[in-house]
Amino acid sequence: MNVHLYALSTCPYCRMTKKYLDENNVSYDLTEVDLLEGAEKDAAVAEVKRLSGGTSFPVLVAGDQVVVGFNKGRITQVLGL
Amino acid sequence: MTAQERPARRVFAAGTTIADLKEYMEPFAARLGYKFNTESEFVDEVLESEIEILERDGDVFCPCRVRTGDAKEDAKIVCPCIPFYLDQFAALRKCWCGLFIRTDVADGADLIGVIEEAESGTTVEVPVARLQDIPPSSARHVKIGKRDIAVVRVGDEVFALSNLCRHAFGPLSEGFLDGYTLVCPWHGWRYDVRNGTTDHPNADVATFPVSIRDGEVLVSVTVGRAH
Repeated sequence: MNVHLYALSTCPYCRMTKKYLDENNVSYDLTEVDLLEGAEKDAAVAEVKRLSGGTSFPVLVAGDQVVVGFNKGRITQVLGL
Repeated sequence: MTAQERPARRVFAAGTTIADLKEYMEPFAARLGYKFNTESEFVDEVLESEIEILERDGDVFCPCRVRTGDAKEDAKIVCPCIPFYLDQFAALRKCWCGLFIRTDVADGADLIGVIEEAESGTTVEVPVARLQDIPPSSARHVKIGKRDIAVVRVGDEVFALSNLCRHAFGPLSEGFLDGYTLVCPWHGWRYDVRNGTTDHPNADVATFPVSIRDGEVLVSVTVGRAH
């Protein structure tokens, strides 16, 4: 399953999520949206809005499932950990 | 004037510390019925991130949300952002990131991590002010989600009604109180604050249930969408 994490470099929940994924040996693609610039950033923000309906981080995409925030219960569930 | 009542000066110069942010934010949150999360390590971590953002972007933007470049939208994520999401946060009992929790939550640990919008259409009691902050025989304007509401105190009773006069959309909260009657400041249309009725035909305004608990004024509304 393809796992993608949209995060902010400054966000505590994003750090918690990354730590949790690392601890569970989950490999994932990471986009740190606040470190992007110009059109690249706009595209990433638009994608996060489309996926989550808002601009809160982190947004974890696992297959066709989307989890907003460090919602440990749901993350465990969608990743089958 | 005690230290509690003194207005906090909002100075975010280089070298701003976690203690500075706490001192500045605490009274604003308290007026709206919120306090810092009881998980103090988490609070410090969030505020540390905010200082990083302040030094990089010039203001204490929410660490959990992204600036879009639209000034109006970005203003809504400057911490504490509670006033912009009164209904949502009242339902969640915390702000998005959980830095602030409702005053009556004893343990904020469970409120950390999850960011979910409250379901729209559910009814929620929204804290809008402390009773002590609204002088008797006065009204104030409160924005809950997209609703403009006049909160009116008559003696020790408080009422909530639409802030917009049905005649020319005058701001009722800036009007004059005559007992239970709120008089629009623009053309003198008169509304009974207890039920929103007026003596003009088909021009009553909506009212909202109000309760007062532990010195907090709570207005009941249905939750709207946050985004």
